[in-house]
Amino acid sequence: MSDKPPSEKHKSGVPFESDDAGEQQLWRDLEDLPQEVPSQRLRRRFYDELEHADRRLHRRRRWLSLFSAPGLAAAMGCVLLGVMIGVVLRNSSVPQHSELAQLQQQVALLNRSLVLDRLDSDSASKRLLGVIEASDLAGRDPEVMRALLERAVDDRVHSVRTAAIDAIGPRLGTPAVGNELMASLEKAESPLVQLALADMVLRYGSPNQLEQLLQLSQTGKLHPDVAQHVKSSVSRNPV
Amino acid sequence: MQAVSDEQLIQWVADGDASCLGTLFERHHRSIYQYCLQLTRSSAASEDLVQDVFLKLLQKASSFRGDGSCKAWIFHIARNVAFDYLRRADRRTTIDDEGDENANRLVDHRSTEQVAAAEQNLNLVARALAEIPAAAREVIWLGRFVFEDYEDLAGALGCTASAARVRMHRAMQQLHSTFMRMNGVPIDV
Repeated sequence: MSDKPPSEKHKSGVPFESDDAGEQQLWRDLEDLPQEVPSQRLRRRFYDELEHADRRLHRRRRWLSLFSAPGLAAAMGCVLLGVMIGVVLRNSSVPQHSELAQLQQQVALLNRSLVLDRLDSDSASKRLLGVIEASDLAGRDPEVMRALLERAVDDRVHSVRTAAIDAIGPRLGTPAVGNELMASLEKAESPLVQLALADMVLRYGSPNQLEQLLQLSQTGKLHPDVAQHVKSSVSRNPV
Repeated sequence: MQAVSDEQLIQWVADGDASCLGTLFERHHRSIYQYCLQLTRSSAASEDLVQDVFLKLLQKASSFRGDGSCKAWIFHIARNVAFDYLRRADRRTTIDDEGDENANRLVDHRSTEQVAAAEQNLNLVARALAEIPAAAREVIWLGRFVFEDYEDLAGALGCTASAARVRMHRAMQQLHSTFMRMNGVPIDV
């Protein structure tokens, strides 16, 4: 164990400044003292520990590097990646939205079928309920409009018919609706239905339709009270 | 002449290249071990302290300012580590006794009837060195075996160069008087 490393054999040490001969001799003799060298175990332990320390250092630097400019850039990249993933996931949810739209469409179709079924029902109360529900659909669904018009023209129950006339009245300007309703006015026998149709023409009718109504009221084809109502209304609001 | 200076190596360690510490280890671990051995008189403790010294260097590499030599700075850290150990173990009061035992071991190992008179004289020097106080022993050891100028010695000891000169002078006086007492006569010139 006792050995002097070659690198230190010729080390002269600091300048020895004593004038004492005995001390000078001691100074010289010191150089020849045997020097223990550490075991190889020390070297192995050191390099093992150095490796561990190096790993810890790199782990810490990786964390710290997150706050450096490249680290922030990487973080921004992660954020962008997250946004992109979000967009992708959002797009992937589009089919779910379309499925919901399809479902809503199916519900709308079912509702439409239900309304049409009710308008065609044998039950007057169901037809009346169908008329009320159809008033919202008639403007965008020709088939519902056609079914509603049928109820307005020739439903055998006056309450259903007058309800249908009230619902379809705002679309009197539509040629198909206008022609049908004006024709039914000439055929209607019930004073209640005549009154509903006359009020509809008075409210929504074109000048031609008002003129036609006025002529009907003058020919005796309308109930006298309805005719009087039309004449008085037209006299208050001339065409 | 070393291709890369200690100062450059410790700078690279500070910059994160821990492998450079290996080069510093190869250059200085024996000297540090022998220095610690002079203070602790224990091989196992000295090896532990060398390990601690280099771990400290890894942690403190960035604190090296280059005011003095890197070697002096390393030995200053070694000195702090060694004295911390001595304080913790409360060994400063018993260090000289252990030193005697260690010195006796060296003497016993070498002082046979067959060894030359010069070697016997050398063993007496070793015993005397082991007997003087640790503070004196470390100055002599560092001044004799580690550093070649008082500036670096002072850097390691944490004092001024003139204070290092004074401490060296007193330490050698102590060694000389101890040697004479042990030898019975003044050393031959």
